[in-house]
Amino acid sequence: MKSAISNQVRELRAARAMTQQELADLISVTRQTVIAIEGDKYSPSLEVAFRIAHVFNVPLEQAFQYQPPRNRAQ
Amino acid sequence: MADSPSRFTFQEKMLWAQLLGIFVVVAFYARFLQHSQPGHHYFHALVLALLFLFGAVRLIVRRRSPSVVEDERDRTIASIGARWSNVTLWLGLVVILVLYWDHGDMRSAAHLIGLIFHLLVLAGLLRIVRELIAYRTAA
Repeated sequence: MKSAISNQVRELRAARAMTQQELADLISVTRQTVIAIEGDKYSPSLEVAFRIAHVFNVPLEQAFQYQPPRNRAQ
Repeated sequence: MADSPSRFTFQEKMLWAQLLGIFVVVAFYARFLQHSQPGHHYFHALVLALLFLFGAVRLIVRRRSPSVVEDERDRTIASIGARWSNVTLWLGLVVILVLYWDHGDMRSAAHLIGLIFHLLVLAGLLRIVRELIAYRTAA
């Protein structure tokens, strides 16, 4: 089941030519966690989400989007 | 930018090691202990040796590898595994105690201990499998 929270982390990272390991080191998580976040398999904590937005220097809502369940069915 | 295929985290490798350890113990138990004479405690010695070995290896690897990182996802997955293990233990204990209450006597105390040991192994196995599934799917 897909998470209600989607993200643009992969796109933001690609735009900066950054590897998953580099991003993982910057936000203090494992590379596997970055892989899971990019695949929408894991929704990070608010703190890690803010760290990601901070690394990419974008607002939080540009990195992460919330889609309520009823809208997802449409 | 080139991202290689996913490798296992340290925690995931340790889970596989634990799973392998449990299979070794269970295989040894099934094959040898049931044919051994009373008073031979190879099985208990093996369990203790494996526990000690696993603890030592884990400690050494953690100290020597700077890449060992435990993050929030690892902790979330560990809590999912612990929940499964706890539920299994509680349900199993209640079932065992109810059965023991009905049919138990002092002579079946060894049987009761054996059941509790099997329950512990089952709970540990479920925890490991659930965590491995969580690592490969979602958390």
